Amino acid sequence: MRSYVLRRLLQVVPLLLGISALTFLLLQLAPGDFLTTVSENPQVSAAALEQMRRNFGLDQPWYVQYLLYLKNIFLHFDFGESFAYHRPVFVVLRSGLLNTLLLASAAMVVTWGLAIPLGVIAAVRQHTPVDRALSVGAFVWLSLPEVLTGLLLLMLAARTGWFPVGGMHSDDASSMGAAARALDVARHLVLPAVVVGLIPLASRMRQMRASLLDVLRLDYVTTARAKGLSEGRVVVGHALRNAMNPLITLFGFTLGSLVSGSFVAETIFSWPGLGSITLEALRSQDQYLVLGAVLMASFVLVLGNLVADLLLAVADPRIAHG
Amino acid sequence: MRIETKGRGHFARALAAGAVLALAAALGGAGGCGGAKPQAPWVDHEPPPPDPMVTPMAEIGVHGGRFRIGATTGPKTLNPVVANENSSNDVCGRLYTSLTDVDYTTGDDVALLAKSWEFSPDDRTVTFHLRHGARFSDGHLITSEDVKFSFDLYLDDTLATSVATMLSEPDPRTGRRVKFSYSAPDSYTFTVTSPRPDALMLPATGSVRILPKHVLGAAYAEGRFASAYGIDTPPESLVTSGPWRLKELVPNEKVELERNPYWFGVDANGSRLPYLDAIVFVVTKDQSGAALKFEAGEIDALDNVSPADYPAWERGQKKGGYRLYDLGPSYNTNFLWFNLNPAPPGPDGRSPGPAVGKVKYAWFSKADFRRAVSKAIDRDALIAGPLHGFGFRNWSTMTRGNAKWYDSTIAGVDHDPEGASRLLAGLGMKDRDGDGVLEDAQGNKVEFGIVTNADNEWRQQMVNLIRDDLSKVGIRASLVPLEFNTLLTRVRNDFQYDACLLGLGSAVPADPGMGQNVWKSSGSTHYWRLRSPKPATAEEARVDVLMDRLVHTRDFAARRAAWHEIMQIVNDQCWLVWLPVMDLRLPIRSRFGNVAPSPMPHRILWNSDRIFVRPGHRGS
Repeated sequence: MRSYVLRRLLQVVPLLLGISALTFLLLQLAPGDFLTTVSENPQVSAAALEQMRRNFGLDQPWYVQYLLYLKNIFLHFDFGESFAYHRPVFVVLRSGLLNTLLLASAAMVVTWGLAIPLGVIAAVRQHTPVDRALSVGAFVWLSLPEVLTGLLLLMLAARTGWFPVGGMHSDDASSMGAAARALDVARHLVLPAVVVGLIPLASRMRQMRASLLDVLRLDYVTTARAKGLSEGRVVVGHALRNAMNPLITLFGFTLGSLVSGSFVAETIFSWPGLGSITLEALRSQDQYLVLGAVLMASFVLVLGNLVADLLLAVADPRIAHG
Repeated sequence: MRIETKGRGHFARALAAGAVLALAAALGGAGGCGGAKPQAPWVDHEPPPPDPMVTPMAEIGVHGGRFRIGATTGPKTLNPVVANENSSNDVCGRLYTSLTDVDYTTGDDVALLAKSWEFSPDDRTVTFHLRHGARFSDGHLITSEDVKFSFDLYLDDTLATSVATMLSEPDPRTGRRVKFSYSAPDSYTFTVTSPRPDALMLPATGSVRILPKHVLGAAYAEGRFASAYGIDTPPESLVTSGPWRLKELVPNEKVELERNPYWFGVDANGSRLPYLDAIVFVVTKDQSGAALKFEAGEIDALDNVSPADYPAWERGQKKGGYRLYDLGPSYNTNFLWFNLNPAPPGPDGRSPGPAVGKVKYAWFSKADFRRAVSKAIDRDALIAGPLHGFGFRNWSTMTRGNAKWYDSTIAGVDHDPEGASRLLAGLGMKDRDGDGVLEDAQGNKVEFGIVTNADNEWRQQMVNLIRDDLSKVGIRASLVPLEFNTLLTRVRNDFQYDACLLGLGSAVPADPGMGQNVWKSSGSTHYWRLRSPKPATAEEARVDVLMDRLVHTRDFAARRAAWHEIMQIVNDQCWLVWLPVMDLRLPIRSRFGNVAPSPMPHRILWNSDRIFVRPGHRGS
């Protein structure tokens, strides 16, 4: 098991190398660079511009820039400095990554917390009005654009005062105790988590329903029923565990999209996550910041897939990683 | 002055914002009241400044309260020397003082750290007398050593600052920039000498923000200065010289400033400023999200709302406890120009000819062609459409709101389709094949593309209307939306475009001398013909002479006369085809006193030391 994990982690290195090279190349292909916008300021002289180009290393050919970047990573574990912030990229990205992971985890709780029970209900009550109502509801939500649901929920918050209108902390959060502060973040988390979490709900719910229906048709379930077990014990105790297997795989894959799944909601709800930093960096061609963000997101993706595989091994003893 | 990079929001988002606002008005929700808790009355713990700055203001205020303002992004750095974009400059402008400032209402130079100054008889040297006993936010005295240190920083070539350009002067013979010299003869005197008299000497020296040598001297000596004072610097080690100091910075979320307890500014009663306990920049990335946050009372002011929403904002004033301030014509101007640049030099080092080709160059280079285009454009329609009726005709970078520089006699080349057709006929352009499009004397169809940035829906709407106007006089124009950096690369480097619609943002101060690089033929932002080795026409040569006069004399009447003549020439030549500017309106809660928003950045917080919460609204 340990060697399996180690091997998977080592595979990450060439993968990240490839991703960084591709990202770097794409950034080079885009017209202009970080200083293009700066050059529009009539107060910036040509000499100052040249000096900035030298300071940022942008006067070098792109392959030299990339090799220097790799050299600093391998020799000093230094991922470069953001041009705009004048600080190491991970200092800039750190807080954003944590906030994005928090939002994504909360959204995941919403998705799975609803998808599993609702899917089970829909399967058990197959072809009844309850089943149909759940499907219709989930698909209506799925077809609403995130921007619209986000703005409508924000409006609700502004109207009723039940929830804060975007952001992550209240204005006076710094004067709160730890518990009050956590509660404050939780209050800010509800609406964006609902918007992000309800999008995949429809498909997850349908998958849960289909998977459980498959299992319920199997012989051992009939045996369990024939033994005179209550329907509840048959479903929860016997069928559900086996029906969960495909969903665990799916759960692992969604772990991978943790970092990228909430960018739109982050903008609408002014959530201080990775999305807005990355987008801004991309637009201003702050190249090492973009690279840092992409590498970080890729790493989380690979890690998510690994966790998915491990989870599957835990849930189903028939699968083993040697 | 710089190209306005910020689009005014994506169209879809603007629509959504409008819909939300309209819905909000229909539902009639609760007006916003801030959630700040009542606080203990403020007590000044520090001895009064020995040499205070009595700050002029409309109303004497009272201490306390918070002012929360929406910002589209958070600051990238709190180091004013390397700060390069608005979000950082907005915050740095509050944190650090300078020798002098510009009064946003009159445009005149006013005292800050320098309580007085005088010019030498030859106008080349200015001697500043610093305030005694002024202190940094950590209680350290501010002396001429700190001023000198700050000048060292801004003029350090390796730091490549934009202010350095203002603090230097091209040598008339060699063309090389010569830096201003400066010295600190004693602790409270500082002198700056320019190689030639410079009308913008005070704004230039006033752009240098005063930084503490005792804190940053070591970082500078060790070459770590650019990364000092970043977003992760602890507030207690960020020592400031301005009315405010940092209380808390949460990346991408908010920046909270609190009173600098040692600030030397006082009101007429001798009470220390600022009045407010705190200014909070709240990052709200989305325009509609910001509007809702304002409505819910979570922020007190927005510095950017869309004209489409003005009527809804207007209606909500009473209920929302705010006032929609009308700032008049924006200082951000819009115009169209034709590409007259020579193509970039080929392998032999020589340009192969005009970048647009000989045919189009023959049209674009004729003033009558450019005038005809200007006459074809229906500016009323541009105001009624993209600006939703909230706009003004404008023929200069110094718009009507700029009393100091505006020329009321200026006459632009305005809408006159018959006149346009006459001019085009005079150039030999006729519709020879009856397809509704003119051909020139050689039979080439008169058609060209107009580039503008794709992320700005508003500019694209303008181009669409202009295209319709041009088709009425027989010119076929097309819209070419481009991603902003692609656009800049075309406009500045390879010149692959016919005509371009863009805008210029306001400089601080809004003085035409700040636009040297735009108007001088050698200028690096002289868009229609960038960095000309010598003026291409007699008119360009005349503007160069006038611009030199404008910059190198301190006699205001002479400067004003020079500027007005420049604008007459620009309008007569139609190098820029002027388009209307927006009527600027901003919502700010009515409980705040001394609020005097200006079209110049920062529009709302330029007098943040004087803003206060009116009694009766405490804790609300």
